[in-house]
Amino acid sequence: MQTLRYRFPADRTARRRTHIGVVASGDLEVLLDEAPNDVAQVRVRTSVDGFDTVWHATLERFFAHTPLAGRWELNDFGATPAVVTLRLRQAAEAATDDQAGAQ
Amino acid sequence: MTSGVVTQDWQQILARRSFLEGDALDRAAALLDPDGFRVLCGPFDRLESPWLEPQGIVPQADDGVVIARGTVAGRPAVIASIEQGFQGGGTGEVSGAKTSQALRLAAEASRHGSPTAAILLFETGGVRLQEANLGLNAVAEICSAVLDLRPLAPVIGVVAGEVGSFGGMSIAAGLCTRLIITPQGRIGLNGPAVIEQEAGIDEFDSSDRALIWSIDGGEQRTAIGLADKLVGDDRDLIRAAVLEAVAAGVPPAGTHRSERIDVLGSRLASLDPKNAPAPQDLRRLWGPMFEPIDGASPAKAATSSATMSRGRLWLSTLAATEPVAVIPSVIRADTDDATYLAVVPDPENPFHRARNGEVGLTESWALAETIDEVVSADTALHMKRAVVAVVDLPSQAYGRIEEMAGLHHAIAAAVDAYHRARNAGHPTVAIVVGQALSGGFLAHGLQAQQILALDDPGVQIHAMHKSAAARITLRTVDELEKLAETVVPLSYHVRDWAQLGFCDGLLPVSDADAPTADDVSAVRHAVDAAIAAARSGPRDLSNRLESPGALQNRKASRAIHDVMSAQWHDAGAP
Repeated sequence: MQTLRYRFPADRTARRRTHIGVVASGDLEVLLDEAPNDVAQVRVRTSVDGFDTVWHATLERFFAHTPLAGRWELNDFGATPAVVTLRLRQAAEAATDDQAGAQ
Repeated sequence: MTSGVVTQDWQQILARRSFLEGDALDRAAALLDPDGFRVLCGPFDRLESPWLEPQGIVPQADDGVVIARGTVAGRPAVIASIEQGFQGGGTGEVSGAKTSQALRLAAEASRHGSPTAAILLFETGGVRLQEANLGLNAVAEICSAVLDLRPLAPVIGVVAGEVGSFGGMSIAAGLCTRLIITPQGRIGLNGPAVIEQEAGIDEFDSSDRALIWSIDGGEQRTAIGLADKLVGDDRDLIRAAVLEAVAAGVPPAGTHRSERIDVLGSRLASLDPKNAPAPQDLRRLWGPMFEPIDGASPAKAATSSATMSRGRLWLSTLAATEPVAVIPSVIRADTDDATYLAVVPDPENPFHRARNGEVGLTESWALAETIDEVVSADTALHMKRAVVAVVDLPSQAYGRIEEMAGLHHAIAAAVDAYHRARNAGHPTVAIVVGQALSGGFLAHGLQAQQILALDDPGVQIHAMHKSAAARITLRTVDELEKLAETVVPLSYHVRDWAQLGFCDGLLPVSDADAPTADDVSAVRHAVDAAIAAARSGPRDLSNRLESPGALQNRKASRAIHDVMSAQWHDAGAP
């Protein structure tokens, strides 16, 4: 297991905190909580060691496209970059859309 | 899927929405009324397991159990939904404490005039071996909490998914008011892979899916009366079954499946393990109605096996009288104010997987039957006899016949009996003098108000023996031992176990296999003190959360207890 931390500039704000996904094989959970600054603070805990570069590239691309500020926690159990991006998008959507209802 | 019970035409099948494909939250939401249910101790409360990260395992923010409080068809209910994807749905300290606390709060609300049903969605492989002893105790507390709630409001179990319900949590399933299962669902105590690992491929071929479902599958469990309703994997059908079960309310005392020791005894008497029926034939023999079988009654008052064991030694020594056999592998000794019980080896046991002192089908029945007899005999008495479990057992019995007959249910009957004795005012004490492993300890020992253990290297308390625990958690025995030095619940040393908060006395002896007069007098004194403490103490297991050990090593359980209680009362009536 490895813990990685990143910061990306972010100017959009979430309407609500959001939780998506589970720590199941090939999947991950994403928790997005409010944080004060114009920054996305990301903590990744992953079961697979040694993929720092891939994580950085995946996250950088996502936050360049979706600069959503907040405290992001990713608990990963071997998700591929495509699944990671999907979960991040789901979280961003649930955190910013007009309909309430996310847990 | 060939099922005679699930009668859906193809249009219904196409239109259905799957229940078992959802995650834990989704499944809870499928059952509760859509308006205003609330998740308690959710992911943002960040009450994750404190034991996984130090072992290099990624935790989940809600530890894999969703507690959701709301209503079903307008009736108050709380759901504990296990996430099967996270650690195989294994019960850890946090996930277990969440389930037991939800049950306790439902019981409290029920006592205060708002009957609150509990719905348990079992998708679990049993105790999470990475949190071994804390998980094992969590299961014991869940069982106790189910039994505390069951007379006040229905506790409905649902086994839907392909993980099924295995391990200690299946005992809790066996205690439920009603059990709903899909054809995909399975219920068993020991999973096929574990039996194969423990007993070889001749005992159970875990690659044979047809065999597995013929024994553990939903259709079979319903056909032999160990589950109440078989429904297809469809959210609407499962919701309808749950509504019906909740609306049916609380059945009369004595009629719950785990209280029907008479049916268990009669069924076991009809089963010849040397010439065991095929699962299909068992359906004809036992049938779906849970009633005694004509002409089959259990043989009692056998002579005990003469094999020496620590359990036999300490039982005779503590009671200072010659034990008598309930069955050859279960012995009792009675003093003026206590009944001592032990499971002992019986090389002639017709159930060949229970010959070394394991808790099997007939052992569970004999424990339940004896305790029931003690409770009945003392009904009118103010000072009830103590029940002392002398514990020396290598495990539960890992066998195919055991699973076919429903060992989880037999153990549930024993757990229910211990709980009944405790609630009736019998002081219940366990003293561990040898091994106390896994489901065996859940059946015989872990429901006691006070637990004592000899401080001896031969005393070992754990969720599974070392080599199996190492294999299942994908480690070597050396790695497991190394981790156990820093992760207390993993340790096999009784002194470490004693730090977890559920040991009420660790008793030094000079020789556990040949106790001196001083040893005997010290241990007897400790048992008497424990009986007195049990008599004046709480009848539930709450002292395990208030002990000095718990303050140190069960901080997470205590946090769940406090946070969920605050959230529950804050929410008011749903």
